[in-house]
Amino acid sequence: MNDTLLARNVLALADDSLLLGHRNSEWAGHAPILEEDIAFANLALDELGHAQLWYELHQELTGREPDETIFFRDAADYLNIQLVELPKGDWAFSMLRQYLFDAYENVLLAHLVNSSNARVAEIAAKQRPEEMYHLRHTAHWVKRLGLGAAESHRRMTAALNELWAYALQLFAPLENAQALTDANILPNPRALQTEWENQVGAHLTASALAIPAARAPRAKSRSEHTAHLRELLTEMQEVARSEVYGVEW
Amino acid sequence: MNDSQWARYEVFEQERASAPHRNAGSVHASDAEMALGNARDVFVRRPNCFSLWVVPEAAVFAKTAQEVARDDWYTAPAADAPRETYLVFNKKGQPARETFVEYVGEVKAAAPAHALRVALETFPTQDVFVWWVAPERRVLKSEQADAASMFAPARTKKYRMHTFYPVEPIMRELKSAQGMLDNSEKMTDND
Repeated sequence: MNDTLLARNVLALADDSLLLGHRNSEWAGHAPILEEDIAFANLALDELGHAQLWYELHQELTGREPDETIFFRDAADYLNIQLVELPKGDWAFSMLRQYLFDAYENVLLAHLVNSSNARVAEIAAKQRPEEMYHLRHTAHWVKRLGLGAAESHRRMTAALNELWAYALQLFAPLENAQALTDANILPNPRALQTEWENQVGAHLTASALAIPAARAPRAKSRSEHTAHLRELLTEMQEVARSEVYGVEW
Repeated sequence: MNDSQWARYEVFEQERASAPHRNAGSVHASDAEMALGNARDVFVRRPNCFSLWVVPEAAVFAKTAQEVARDDWYTAPAADAPRETYLVFNKKGQPARETFVEYVGEVKAAAPAHALRVALETFPTQDVFVWWVAPERRVLKSEQADAASMFAPARTKKYRMHTFYPVEPIMRELKSAQGMLDNSEKMTDND
């Protein structure tokens, strides 16, 4: 099996979790209520932990250390989807983004635990209990905000209209990934999308939110990024790349 | 409601199956399900939890031992008033550290004050400082089936334990490397 192809796909998974965790961490100290500040910080830490597991597998495949991969790679070489690099927005935006991603991870991990690649299956098994909790948490928030007050409903509607097409990129495969699907290492993205749309569709409807009409993802290629990513990485990588503070990194 | 906070829920944490639920503190939440989730994120950190309960603070009928002795808090219910299960908690003793309001058992009663009266007749009262009773139907309990996602993850997060951070040895090492240790700080054979 082509290790480079697997490494790229693993890197994509790692980058998604890392950047989403990073965006969520920006709420620390700013969440609407103290308990939720702690809860969402926990979710962010979990995502960083998941990213670390994938970066470690990436190291096994490529020899590249996680710190090197995370702090010394430019935006153009990141393989995350645009959904996770967007700024945190308001609470509705962040809750809905996390929910759409959690629903995807739950569908994805249910398949990955049966991957023919033992390391992939092992990592998926570690992440799965935490992602189940995430989904429970964010699904409830989506429902409360959707069914809550006029303002929360308005903000959720605006968030969904913006996020939907970005979320569809979750199912746009990396180029040549078909070989990994044929080898039962990764699941078929079409199948994932159908499962995800069924689950998410039902929940959004129950939350009084209308599914947007968009069918095409905002971006097809994971190498295509918005200006937000460069801004995020400039801040995130600043210390590591600094000549004064980054020397012993 | 004047308070901009959400309703407050008392949280009870059971570390292992053989231990009683203990009051760990409280959380604010918009509803019981959120309270259970928040309780998990705020309190299940160090790291063993077998079961978690939350109950709205407004549903808890609480009396100190002194208030109980005053005899002005109880009226008998009607004989045909329907009974339901109340969960009973108390706090025994008042030493300096680590006393908790703890679960002691359940009684059947028609009203909160009645539940406390029955509890006083059912459970030992010596050394009890505080009694709490709450209707079981107001208590949301975590499901055992959810333990894998609710509680198991905390066990592997050693970085939440203060013992994970050996600050003193690290500081000594740093200071020593920079020749900054004075005699009182140098490691001795006793360390």
